Amino acid sequence: MKLRFWGVRGSFAMSGREFLRYGGNTTCVELLTDAGERLLIDLGTGATELGKTLMSREFSKGAGNLPILLSHTHLDHIQGLPFFTPFFIRGNTIRIIGANPSVGSTLEATLQNQLAPHYSPLNGLENLAAGVSIETVAAGSTFEVPGFMVTTAAVPHGSMWSTGYRITADGKTIAYLSDVEYPNIDDPLPVAVNLARDVDLLIHDAMHADEDYELRRGWGHSPARAGVVVAERAGAKKLALFHHSPDATDDMIDEVVSRTAARTAVPVFAAAEGSYVDI
Amino acid sequence: MQITFWGVRGSYPVPGAATVRYGGQTSCVEVRSASGECLIVDAGTGMRALGNKLLREATAPQNHHVLLSHVHWDHIQGLPFFSPAYIAGTKISIYALLTAADELQQVIGGITRQEFFPMSLEAVPATFDFHEVAPGVGIDIGPFQVMPIALNHPFGSVGYRIDCDGSSWAYVSDTAPFDRVLHKQHFLPGPEELSEDDKTSLGDMRDALIRGLKGVDTVIYDTHFLPEEYERFPHYGHSTPDQALDVCEAAHCRRLVLYHHAPSHTDDQMDKVAADYLELGAKRGIEVLTSFEGMTLPIGPAPAEAS
Ligand SMILES: [Zn+2]
Ligand SMILES: [Zn+2]
Ligand SMILES: [Zn+2]
Repeated sequence: MKLRFWGVRGSFAMSGREFLRYGGNTTCVELLTDAGERLLIDLGTGATELGKTLMSREFSKGAGNLPILLSHTHLDHIQGLPFFTPFFIRGNTIRIIGANPSVGSTLEATLQNQLAPHYSPLNGLENLAAGVSIETVAAGSTFEVPGFMVTTAAVPHGSMWSTGYRITADGKTIAYLSDVEYPNIDDPLPVAVNLARDVDLLIHDAMHADEDYELRRGWGHSPARAGVVVAERAGAKKLALFHHSPDATDDMIDEVVSRTAARTAVPVFAAAEGSYVDI
Repeated sequence: MQITFWGVRGSYPVPGAATVRYGGQTSCVEVRSASGECLIVDAGTGMRALGNKLLREATAPQNHHVLLSHVHWDHIQGLPFFSPAYIAGTKISIYALLTAADELQQVIGGITRQEFFPMSLEAVPATFDFHEVAPGVGIDIGPFQVMPIALNHPFGSVGYRIDCDGSSWAYVSDTAPFDRVLHKQHFLPGPEELSEDDKTSLGDMRDALIRGLKGVDTVIYDTHFLPEEYERFPHYGHSTPDQALDVCEAAHCRRLVLYHHAPSHTDDQMDKVAADYLELGAKRGIEVLTSFEGMTLPIGPAPAEAS
């Protein structure tokens, strides 16, 4: 299995020179099996660039199939949806899979709302030319999409819940725990630790530098050290710090990585937009 | 007056090495009067950095006035990240076209509905008030005289002519030209055939725009597309620099500022656009500038230091 980060930023897309090495796009991750099956997680602004890349493949001919997992519907995780080019080609089949938001309305109604005529000239999901299905999954369920086994868990994210994913393909496993804040940040919930049990890579919310966390407790995000505790307890082989704060420049992220790496034996790196990595 | 560009991009923010010089954030412009008063036009992602600057400068909670051209995401997405909104005592007045039966407050509040954003509009410490604008009906905001002008864009949008300190500028974004497509309140998969009434509506809209812009010093215009791109997407609701030049020439404007750059346009492409249209504009007697994030333009007399 290969993985590529297309967007690693939390909350807000950041442009400018200070964000070039890690990248300023909001969350989007692509997974590829050895056989070429593809799965995306989240549709932040990073999805726009990925969408253009996909158009050089079967997606330009209306023959593309793509499952997309959503962690939740906060805008930084869906704002790339109206600009994801494979949606505009008739014949493509795209599945959007996620939980119903734990607040407000259903997943489908929420995405409809994003494309409501006030907000978007698309005027609704029905105007996407591709075949789009919105599929809701319950927390704690396991299901298969072509090439991948997926297990979900609901984790607390401020006043709502987000969905964490455990994904296995080609004998390798990753866990995605973005947008999470445990009630006691130094004692992560068993549901999160179990989801990340023995994974080859854990991608974890690291929105705040450890020293900034006290001021931002209750905002729904983790300090860098939270991912470390999950990784250590779960026996994860590697930890990717993810969902970087829009205030975190490249140099600040470097600093967080070196301080986080110094406190654990688990190999740590900060997720960065760029090339495919082998899991 | 002085205007400062905080976001010049259309559609969605584009981080990355290809946009560092012109900027990747979406529509947001700040204007200051000679007396230092401030007006914000559009609340795209550029508004986050503007808010941080305003907060650094402020010694007490402020009143902010925000004119919206319309409420597509690229023009409102910065609002939840406008840091002065999180300071109690701040007052934020929002002016926009009412585009449907819904109340403006619901549309703006809907940006931060809990499925989309962690804090609802009601929970934000600042107080908000909402004002509906109507094309052709002028409003005074502090020292600024503001005249909304109807534009041709899906679900409607308005431009603004702003007069202050004996000078004037106008914000004309987002708009399609006024010949091939009439945007209404439904989805357009492609150009529709125009009825005679549609053609009349388009002609009237263009005439009203040109009347509204008559003699304006500086016009900021939606020039999302290059001509060949426009030919492929005439129903997307955006213009080319050539179409903007036609309008500015007809209205006898001194200066045109290209704005709402397509997300796909790299800095190098924008350099070429800037050079090409500087030359083309000069031939028609119009100074053409290409906006970039951080660009500041004096309009008429220079402003006093911000108070
Ligand atoms: Zn997020
Ligand atoms: Zn979130
Ligand atoms: Zn726009």
